[in-house]
Amino acid sequence: MTEYNAFPAPSRDLCGTMHVHRRLLNESMTYRAQRARIENRALQYETGRRASVRSGVVTIPVVVHVVHNPGTPAQNIADAQIHSQIDVLNWDFRAANPDVSRVPDPWKPLVADIEVEFALATADPHGAPTDGIVRVETGRTEFDSHDGVKAAASGGADPWPSDQYLNLWVCQLGEGLLGYAQFPGGPPHTDGVVVLHSAFGTTGTAAAPYDGGRTATHEIGHWLDLFHIWGDDDGACSNDDRVADTPNQAGSNVGKPAFPHVTCDNGPNGDMFMNYMDYVDDDSMFMFTRGQRERVDACLEGTRASFLVAHRAAPAAPAAAPGTRPVEAQASGYVAQDSDVERLLHDTERLTREALTDIHDVLDLVGHRFGG
Amino acid sequence: MTGGSGTDDTPAPVTGTWVHAFEEDTPAEAVYRPEGRPLPPSRRPRRRLEFRPDGTVTEHRPAPDDRLAEREGRWERRGPERVAVAFPGGRGAPLAVSVSGDGDRLSVEK
Repeated sequence: MTEYNAFPAPSRDLCGTMHVHRRLLNESMTYRAQRARIENRALQYETGRRASVRSGVVTIPVVVHVVHNPGTPAQNIADAQIHSQIDVLNWDFRAANPDVSRVPDPWKPLVADIEVEFALATADPHGAPTDGIVRVETGRTEFDSHDGVKAAASGGADPWPSDQYLNLWVCQLGEGLLGYAQFPGGPPHTDGVVVLHSAFGTTGTAAAPYDGGRTATHEIGHWLDLFHIWGDDDGACSNDDRVADTPNQAGSNVGKPAFPHVTCDNGPNGDMFMNYMDYVDDDSMFMFTRGQRERVDACLEGTRASFLVAHRAAPAAPAAAPGTRPVEAQASGYVAQDSDVERLLHDTERLTREALTDIHDVLDLVGHRFGG
Repeated sequence: MTGGSGTDDTPAPVTGTWVHAFEEDTPAEAVYRPEGRPLPPSRRPRRRLEFRPDGTVTEHRPAPDDRLAEREGRWERRGPERVAVAFPGGRGAPLAVSVSGDGDRLSVEK
């Protein structure tokens, strides 16, 4: 799990190091506790002990912050480029993208309509009419992945309340990055997604092979709690994306792979590299799975439930039935079971172990001498 | 002991920032090029290794949310074209690094 770069630089200043580490450790502990709760819920959905109760399509209000340097006018992308991005999102998260037909036959039954749509906000946080696009000039020539673009104080744009809007920042990113996200459970003031302007939408400055709008699809997948399909284990085959219907695969794929690409003994079909959560080119990714939808459901009915409030006010209807949800879980409220208690105890032990490891690490760091 | 002051007569230059040119990887090594070398844009974030003269090194590596996460370590020379990198506190295995004499190519043993 990401730890917000919570590893301080080596320092001979014991007190300073400990002070910084204590702050980072506290933040890290809060985040880890949040993540443990989120993972518990996702597991309950995956194992069928809890099921989605939302019905119909959820529409997420979006604010796009275009942070541009006047010295490079191209960064101030046109409204049409932004609209082209919203269109792609609404195809991809509804399995309405034309290229979904390219999903290999064995996996066609797994294709999922996530039933999430996106719309540029029509009211700002004060209720005033808006087109959902904020344009901010910056003196910065580029941003890195340390969230400078997310605050006016650091040359970016402050977010709108992240429990009411999906904040999408579009800017010049350095270090070759196309975009980055924040998983649910992180700090609200940095919650959202950042995308390089030339990997955003399908028109204007969007440049091949990232001119299909799929960078935002991928990053919003993270924002809705989806992990990379290979499990971020550097090719070890030891970790997966916590989604049962996506094959375990060794590492990320890039470019335009040929089907099948077998790793981790996952033959005959191999890696599901055409999943939005791999690293292939825009024109080579075109599906989410039913298992991924379950994780999104767990997220939308858990950490990001604020986006469902309006929908919950609507009359309840039977769940639109993609055939993936156990019937019993729709019937009544959730009752805690012994296995839940065991899992909570397990998580508590794990958090304690991680905290002790952090403390051990910082003591090592302070006392570290090369090779010694 | 710091890494920047190697005792070899003509050590290959290592200080500066190196960017992973994964297109050039072999089964045995990961290949890095000096920052500034044109590399194609990539959805897979490129790792970066930042060697400083004081013997510290920062590795920027792709995180699960596509950020570049940092970890700090130390480096020292092990020969004219060999460098060892260590990360404290069990934050990662040591790296065995080779640098070409002209400072154009750095490789990390897999």
